[in-house]
Amino acid sequence: MVENYLPILVFIVLGILFGIAPILAGYMMGPSKPDSVKLSPYECGFEAFEDARMKFDVRFYLVAILFIIFDLEIAFLFPWAVVLDEIGMFGLVAMAVFLGILVIGFIYEWKKGALEWE
Amino acid sequence: MLEFIEQSLAWLPDGVVALVIIILKILAIIAPLMAAVAYLTLAERKIIGYMQVRIGPNRVGPWGLLQPVADGVKLMLKEIILPSSANRFLFILGPILTFAPALAAWSVMPFSDELVLADVNAGLLYILAITSMGVYGVIIAGWASNSKYAFLGALRSAAQIVSYEIAMGFAIVGVLLAGGSLNIGDIVNAQQGSLVHWFWLPLLPLFLVYFISGVAETNRSPFDVAEGESEIVAGFHVEYSAISFSIFYLAEYANMILIAMLAVLMFLGGWLSPFQGIPFLEDWFAWIPGIVWLLGKTAVFCFLYLWFRATFPRYRYDQIMRLGWKVFIPITIVWLMVVGGAVVAQLGPWFD
Amino acid sequence: MGFEQIVFYIFSAILVFAAGMVISVRNPVFAALFLVLAFFTSAVIWILLEAEFLALTLVLVYVGAVMVLFLFVVMMLDINLAVLKRGFRRYLPVGFVVAFIMIVQLVLIVGPEQFGLDKVESPTPRAADYSNTEELGRVLYTVYVYPFEIASVILLVAIIAAIALTLRKRKHPRFMSPEQQIKVRREDRLRIVKMKSETKL
Repeated sequence: MVENYLPILVFIVLGILFGIAPILAGYMMGPSKPDSVKLSPYECGFEAFEDARMKFDVRFYLVAILFIIFDLEIAFLFPWAVVLDEIGMFGLVAMAVFLGILVIGFIYEWKKGALEWE
Repeated sequence: MLEFIEQSLAWLPDGVVALVIIILKILAIIAPLMAAVAYLTLAERKIIGYMQVRIGPNRVGPWGLLQPVADGVKLMLKEIILPSSANRFLFILGPILTFAPALAAWSVMPFSDELVLADVNAGLLYILAITSMGVYGVIIAGWASNSKYAFLGALRSAAQIVSYEIAMGFAIVGVLLAGGSLNIGDIVNAQQGSLVHWFWLPLLPLFLVYFISGVAETNRSPFDVAEGESEIVAGFHVEYSAISFSIFYLAEYANMILIAMLAVLMFLGGWLSPFQGIPFLEDWFAWIPGIVWLLGKTAVFCFLYLWFRATFPRYRYDQIMRLGWKVFIPITIVWLMVVGGAVVAQLGPWFD
Repeated sequence: MGFEQIVFYIFSAILVFAAGMVISVRNPVFAALFLVLAFFTSAVIWILLEAEFLALTLVLVYVGAVMVLFLFVVMMLDINLAVLKRGFRRYLPVGFVVAFIMIVQLVLIVGPEQFGLDKVESPTPRAADYSNTEELGRVLYTVYVYPFEIASVILLVAIIAAIALTLRKRKHPRFMSPEQQIKVRREDRLRIVKMKSETKL
C-alpha cells in the first residue's frame, strides 16, 4: 500500500519545484528597476494612510468555525459511505441519528441568523 | 517505450531507475496539462469574444493560435515587483502554495482503465485533502501583500472557498455511496452499463451542487467576487506582477480542468462510451479509445465554465454565502439520506 | 537502509524542526505556517504506518480547516508581540523547572520500558488493494456506534458554543432578503398619480 504513495510524494515535490522554477526564471529574465513609488502598495493613487491589516468582522471567524465542524462531519461520512452496503440498515440508522443531531445544530444556526450575511 | 528507458538506465541502481520512471510519468501528466491550461486561456478569450460578437485574439500566429506562447514569453520578461511593505518570503510563497496543490491533485487522476499514475485506494479523499490546501496560497498572498484590496480579496475568497468545500464534500460522499469505493477507477467502473447507469441520474441534485460548487471553489464567474474588478480591483493578487501573477492563473485553470474532469469521472461515466448498451452504435464506436471520451466530456465542462462567464452577472457576496450554506447544504444532506436508503434497499439499476 | 527509512528520517527531521520553530519563531503567522508544515509531515509519517485514512483526514481537517481558522485569528487580530514577549527572561527559570518536571513524568510513563522498537511491532505491509477506510468503517458504525453518536453531540455543542460566543447582531442591518426582493410587485413600488396640467397664468 505504501509504495502506491511514492509517486504522489514525488509529484508533490515536483509540483513545488514547478512553482519555484518560473519565479526564478522570471527574476533572471525580467528587468529589475525598483523605485519607491512602484513598490508602494496599490491604493487608487493615494498614499496608504493606515496599515492594511485591520480587524475585521467576527463573522469570518464564525464561518471558519462552522466550516471546521462540517468538515469533521464529512470526515465521519467518508468511511460510512464506502461500507454502507456491508453494514446495511444498522449503519443507515446510525448515520441518520448522527446527521439528525447535527441537523438540529444546523437549524439552530439558521434560526439564530448565523448564516445571514448582512 | 518504458522498457527502452528501463534498459538504457540499467547501469543505475534499481531505486534510481524506478524514481526516474516515476518522474517521466509525472512529466507526461504535467506537460499536456500545462498545454491544456495555456490553450484554455486562448479558448476562453476566443469563445467569449464570439459570444460578444468579437473575434478575439487573431494576430499572433494563424487564428491567434500562438497567443498563449506570446503571453507566456511576455509575462516571463516582465519585472517581478516586491512591494516595499510586503512580507518578502510569504509574498513569494503565496503563488507556490497555490500552484503546488493544483498540480499535486492530478497524481491520482485516472485517464483510462489502466492509465493512472498512483492507483491509491483513497483517491478521492486525497484529492479533497490536497485541494483544501489551495486556500493557503490565497490567504498568504493576501496577507503578505499588505494592501487593503489584497487583504479584503483574500478574506472574501477564503470564506467563499471554505463554504463551498462543505457542499462539495457532501456531494462527493454521495458518489462514494453510489460507487462503494474511494478509488476513482472503481467509481467509474461501477457506472458500467449505459448512459442511464451513470451516476448523474440517481445523484442529479448532487451533480448540480458539485459542479456549481466547483465553479465557486475556483473563484470563477459568476462567483468571482474575490477579484471583483469594480470593487476591490483584483482581489488577493492585486500586488502581483509578471510570472508570479500568472502562476495564480495557471493554478486557477489547472483547478478548473481538475474539477471538470472529476465531474466527468464521478457523474458521467469517465472514459466509458456514451453508446454502451445501445445495439449497433456500441459496435460502431467501439474503436474509439476511452481517453478520447474522457477528454471530450471534460472539454464540454470546460466550455461550460466559459459560457457561465459570458452569461451570468456576478453574484453579490451575501447571495453567494446564502447559496452555499442555505441551499446547497440542506439539499445535499437530504439527498445523502435518500441515496443511503437506495443503497441499503439495493435499488436497481445503479445500486444492485 | 530501505527507501521507506530514508523517507521516514527526512520527514521526521522536518517534523521536529517545524515543531521547534512553532514555539520559537517570533512572528505568529510563521508559527502557524510551521504548524501546518508539522501536520503535513506527520501525515506523511502516518502513511508510512499504513494509516491512509487517518493521514488524509489529518490533512483535510487540521491543515484544510483548523489551521485556516488559526491563520485567520493570528493574521487579523494584530496581536501585540512586545507585550506578549515581556517578562520572557523573568519567567524563564520557572519555565525550565516546569518543563523538567514534565519531561521526567513523560519518561516515567512512556519511557523505554514501555516504548521502543521491540515493544511495538512495526505494521505488516499490506497489499496494494487494502483499504484502511473500509476497515475503519466496518467497526466505527457498528461496534463503536455509541461513541460515534456521542461525537455528533459534541459537534452540536461546538456549533451552539461557537454561535453563542461570536454571533453579534448589527444594530442597523443592511441585509436584504432575496425572497422579498423577488416577490416585489409593481403596485408596491409605483403609484400613478393623475394630475391636471398646470395652467399658464
